[in-house]
Amino acid sequence: MHNLLELFLGILSAMGGFVDIGELVFTLNAGAKFGYSLLWIMLFGTVGVIVYGEMAGRIAAVTHLGIFDIVRDRIGFAAGLATLVAANLVNVMTCASEIGGIAIILKLFLGWPYRFLIFLVLFFLLAAVWFLPFKWIERTFGLLGLFMVIFIFSAVALQPDWSRVAAGLAPNVPEVREQSDYFLYAYFAVALFSAIMLPYEIYFYNAGGVEDRWKPTDITVNRFTSGLGFALGSLLAASLIGVGAEYLRPHGIADALLPGAAALGPMELYGKVGLAAALAGMFFAFSGAAIETALSAAYSFAQFWGWPWGKFRGPKNAARFYFAWIVVFSLAALLTLTGIDPVELVEYSIVFSIVILPLTYLPVVAVARNKAIMGKFANGRLANVLGWFYLIVSTLAALAAVPLLIVTHGGKG
Amino acid sequence: MAAKDNPDYFDLAGQVLDHMIVDSEDMPCGKVDDIEIEGDLGGPLRVKALHVGPGAWMPRLPALLALIAGKFFRRSTVAVAWEQVEEITPTIKLRSTAAELGLGKADRKAARFMRKVLRS
Repeated sequence: MHNLLELFLGILSAMGGFVDIGELVFTLNAGAKFGYSLLWIMLFGTVGVIVYGEMAGRIAAVTHLGIFDIVRDRIGFAAGLATLVAANLVNVMTCASEIGGIAIILKLFLGWPYRFLIFLVLFFLLAAVWFLPFKWIERTFGLLGLFMVIFIFSAVALQPDWSRVAAGLAPNVPEVREQSDYFLYAYFAVALFSAIMLPYEIYFYNAGGVEDRWKPTDITVNRFTSGLGFALGSLLAASLIGVGAEYLRPHGIADALLPGAAALGPMELYGKVGLAAALAGMFFAFSGAAIETALSAAYSFAQFWGWPWGKFRGPKNAARFYFAWIVVFSLAALLTLTGIDPVELVEYSIVFSIVILPLTYLPVVAVARNKAIMGKFANGRLANVLGWFYLIVSTLAALAAVPLLIVTHGGKG
Repeated sequence: MAAKDNPDYFDLAGQVLDHMIVDSEDMPCGKVDDIEIEGDLGGPLRVKALHVGPGAWMPRLPALLALIAGKFFRRSTVAVAWEQVEEITPTIKLRSTAAELGLGKADRKAARFMRKVLRS
């Protein structure tokens, strides 16, 4: 019974912790610009993140190795170091945009000055990571992030044309007004794919398995958590496409940039309760994501250089790991304090994420399929086929990402 | 018989280089940044030591990056005698503690600083 409850809470935490500011921005905008026609990318990316999440969790359970342990081992020191630097630039950018997003939400609630709120958010996040044990961090922010289900209720209450929703689940090219909109559609497809398969989610999920002392007997828990948790999280993100398509598009809000715009739909449908749930959901989801990015950066440094790491060791036994996440939070807050637009920042971080995706995922599939390392827990045929397939797709998307960013002027068309 | 069929076979580049080192108390204390091998041409080779530290990983970088890294890190290296290796799993387990071998100095320094901060 206790194990079932743990599994249930784990799945819900994975669901509530799935959406971050990047997904919010791109899904809402995708819905507002292209209706449901990008839903298939959500479905496609969700299968990909489940495949790699499951492998990363299984590696943690069997070998207790972190992702950057195997990145360095498999792609070599110099390429591994380049991946480490690039991944952490993206982590700092993403963390900064999450902090900015939280400050914007608090500003909507409290009306206090933005820069003061950034300091407040920084201290809140530092205190949360310092004082809460790892499992509590996962559970608190994951479960409270479930306030975001208000977007699922809203997407359904907006009475979508279900035949169009179903049509959007199959690969399609929408009718567009201008030729350049095809590039914009391709840009959103690549960005949505990247937003779902963000590397930090895999770093964090794998490190979480080590933090929670997973053993090979936990592989079933890993399968359910990554499979069901990520799938339900993705359903939550997909509902944002629905809100974009059914609420923002008809209201002519084509560039739903601020998180506040996301709350308009739930507010109109459910009044103050809808507004409060949407803002609270975003607050906890962005806070969880900020923590995940900062800890992921610290995990990756520690794993690459062989430092002792993990919340379970405490600050005295993993001092450099603790300093690393404090520095990442501080750098991210400083970046936000410059006045940079967090939404614009997250757009760049998502596009750059896809560039490092193949370098992160190649070592994962290489280790997960290796019988000498994984023994009887090595990939089966299906995991191998899907792993290599998604690696090829993410490589193609990585090659297309930066040209599309330039051609579409950062997604502005 | 293929080399891999030998029960004593292991792949130095694949199973040792760049792998995590843990001491006798299971504390991570660095990565194998380089492997020192001794022997004469035509004669048998044997592993002498594992090298850990910037002096060992810097030469593995492209020249320009090595030059830049040299400005930020001292080229210090700790050589761990091969006899210290107790077990090779995905990690390299040693027979002594990190402190006894001179590994993990930066960690102990950071831990002392952390203790000071926590006390004050």
